[in-house]
Amino acid sequence: MGRYGRTVLVIAVVVIAAGLILGFQTISVSNFQRGSDNTLLGLSLGLDLQGGSHLVYQAALTDPVTGAPIEVTQDQMDALKLNIERRVNSSGLGEPIIQILGTDRLLVQMPGLDDPERAKRIIGETARLEFKRRTFNVSRDIDEITAADIVGATVDFLPVLSDTSTDELATSSEEAVQPEEETPLALMIEFTEQGVDKFTPVFLRLAQSYFVYQQDYIERLQDDPAASPFGGRIPNTLDISIDGNEKQRFTASYPTVQRLDTTTYAFAVPAEEDTQAQPTLEVARRRVGNNPVFLFTEIIGTQDEDIGLTGDNLARAFPGQHAQSGIPIVNLEFDSEGTRIFGELTLDIVRKQETEGIRDQIAIFLDDDELVSPTVQTAITAGTAIIQGRDFTVERVRDLSLQLEAGRLPIPIELIQERDVDAILGADSLARSVVAGIVGLALVLLFMTMYYRLPGLVAATALVIYAMLVMAVFKILPVTLTLSGVAAVILSIGMAVDANILIFERMKDELRAGRTLLSSINIGFDRAWPAIRDGNISTLITCGILFWFADQLGASIVQGFAVTLAIGVVVSMFTAITVSRTLLRFVGTTRLTRSMRIWLPSGGSEVPQQFVPDTAD
Amino acid sequence: MDFVGKRGWFYLFSLAVILPGVVFLIITPGVNPGIDFTGGSTLTLEFEANVNQTDLRQRLTSLGHPDATVQKLGDRTYFIRTKQLTDDSKVNLVDALESNLSPDGLTELSFDLVSPVVASETVVNALYAVLAAAVGIFIYIWWAFRNVPSPFRYGAAAIVALVHDSIIVIGIFSILGAVLDMEVGTMFLIAILTVIGYSVNDTIVVFDRIRENVTIHPNRQLSEVVNLSISETIGRSLNTSITLMVTLLALFLFGGTTIREFLLVLLIGVVAGTYSSIAIASQVLISWEYGDIGRVFRRARQPRSATA
Repeated sequence: MGRYGRTVLVIAVVVIAAGLILGFQTISVSNFQRGSDNTLLGLSLGLDLQGGSHLVYQAALTDPVTGAPIEVTQDQMDALKLNIERRVNSSGLGEPIIQILGTDRLLVQMPGLDDPERAKRIIGETARLEFKRRTFNVSRDIDEITAADIVGATVDFLPVLSDTSTDELATSSEEAVQPEEETPLALMIEFTEQGVDKFTPVFLRLAQSYFVYQQDYIERLQDDPAASPFGGRIPNTLDISIDGNEKQRFTASYPTVQRLDTTTYAFAVPAEEDTQAQPTLEVARRRVGNNPVFLFTEIIGTQDEDIGLTGDNLARAFPGQHAQSGIPIVNLEFDSEGTRIFGELTLDIVRKQETEGIRDQIAIFLDDDELVSPTVQTAITAGTAIIQGRDFTVERVRDLSLQLEAGRLPIPIELIQERDVDAILGADSLARSVVAGIVGLALVLLFMTMYYRLPGLVAATALVIYAMLVMAVFKILPVTLTLSGVAAVILSIGMAVDANILIFERMKDELRAGRTLLSSINIGFDRAWPAIRDGNISTLITCGILFWFADQLGASIVQGFAVTLAIGVVVSMFTAITVSRTLLRFVGTTRLTRSMRIWLPSGGSEVPQQFVPDTAD
Repeated sequence: MDFVGKRGWFYLFSLAVILPGVVFLIITPGVNPGIDFTGGSTLTLEFEANVNQTDLRQRLTSLGHPDATVQKLGDRTYFIRTKQLTDDSKVNLVDALESNLSPDGLTELSFDLVSPVVASETVVNALYAVLAAAVGIFIYIWWAFRNVPSPFRYGAAAIVALVHDSIIVIGIFSILGAVLDMEVGTMFLIAILTVIGYSVNDTIVVFDRIRENVTIHPNRQLSEVVNLSISETIGRSLNTSITLMVTLLALFLFGGTTIREFLLVLLIGVVAGTYSSIAIASQVLISWEYGDIGRVFRRARQPRSATA
């Protein structure tokens, strides 16, 4: 009894594990999440077997200039369909059904009811992915502010502005301009009306770029608490040259430039270069003198230049790992036009870097949200690039790839309908089929037990174990089970039954030849093995070829079949050979061997042993 | 039992089953592609009454839409895919559903033309994949039977059986399509793949016994060995196919209606696969060995000799 005891123990453990996996609807061990509360045994089921999300999208193509809607073409809709299909397929959510409704709508049905938000996220709605050349500190031509635009300039302590409303500010302006010794020194320039019209836009850009910079910095800080304030965008600055008693030149930026009233702006007087201290009022005043001439140059801190590279030019974006360091990266592949534009862009950036020492970046925007703005290391003319970043995690590169992919949508779409939908094959119909399937399987088990007696019972047990194992494997991997998967399971069950029948028929032959029970079991298995092996290997070869071809040609329905069948065949070989064999040998060492009758199939009149009642078949 | 001697009858029988199907394949446009491949119309209907999904499906079948898929979108709302409907036929269909199922009325939430679920290229691509798989099977069997004479014949015979089974199934569906308006969808494609898998596995079991017996009895005629091998495996072949057919029949008779087409293919395929292992694959080996094809051509000149 002890000889096969250990193997029986291993089988018992595997079976209990499978039982537990199937017994709990959901399995959750730290990062490992499997199962679902809504499905049979928590298996992940395809759209044909279980419901999912029913989403209808409307193409929303508008003229970029006028904003008027543009009619979409059949080709655009086909491209959109293909694109979303690929995206959903690569998400592992299971096969979607995507159909073009009418001329400009898209129906997407996705399996799984657990997370409709995820379904929507994968499809995405946004559309405009743009690559822009980001240049820093570019002088911008502004309308020249001449002496005629300036009423006068004074240097004084910065007046304290009250926080109250503008009305009050106006009435108390007399007091407000009273200098206060504690405030910093400022150069106050009063513009003429014409001068204000020229200067105000410059000031607004200074302020706006500063706030955008701050926002950007805060966002980077949220991603990475150690983010440098100088890593991303740079705010605009204003270069001011003063030709007064002395020539001075300094750089101002928001908030060191402030607006005092409708015509007057204050510019903080810079600290002395050597002492870093504020100059005295007298010194500052003397330097400016009575008739200073000003020259303003606006410097755009971060300029994003359109280069005509958009999501249309991106062939693929997918997460990966750096070949040497193994850190997570995002891979980009461009189409031929994208390759050309991207190549020229990077060449030029590198050239500029070598000649001027200025590193331009490539900023990537999705619907005006900046995704990432990598610097350029080398000229990339092959059309494939990677994006790496110090703070990149596996999660971040995956999200980034998805967002980039979202930007590849050929046309923008809008979600117009969202509902839950039941299985394509109909929940009512499927419930009946499940019952019928169980009845059918029970009949098979009954038939095997009645016809092959004790070995048949062993095989029936092995089959139940097989069914448990295969489903546990599906749940753990996980495999999204569709009807094509069920077909594969039926075929593999057929092969598992077949393997058992082959073995018993051989065993029967050996018993008839007068061998002992145990040696009949062993020889039976050995004789049956080549047929089982060749049948299963040829099936596995078929699966491999089907899978590979379907992958190349894009027939995902065939792929699903191949994967499930391959799993079914491997598990079937394991149960037929290990489980049935061990159980049979195990039983063969017990007292059950005393009755030869129960080891022999019924109806075998040529069997020389005892009386066999003429029951089934 | 002399299986080998009856191979002429076996071939004749297969031909009798295959020919009508092939004729239908040629004279009709082949099998009727279902809405998976052709696209059609979709209707979203909200009924006033509580309409049962099974009833709705049955009603659609009786109104001439057996291929319609019905998905529940809400308590009383259904999303229906059908063949392409004209505006008139849609109105008729909706009116019929209303008077039969929901006399208090129904609301038509949407009516659209819809593109195919599966591009027709998928079928062609699947065919390429199957062809490639057949080559793989052929090479593997050739290799696995390398110790018997003319091993490549085994590979070729297995492929002949595989083609035989596929043509029978496709042919029968072509007839069913012409007579009963039955259509084939993606399920059909998968079912065919399953039949092919079964066919090869079944053939290999018989061939394995031939391989074994050829080694045990090197001096016997191949016809004797094949006869012996078939006799030894026929019990197992029948048992396997009977158990499978019992399961499939239970599903076919008592299961839901939505997978009937699929089960029918499998049922036909299991019968064909079992038959072809004995009556086609093994006999092709014999015919090849004894040059039957050449003999058929010579028969005009000289009377047929006794069986080989």
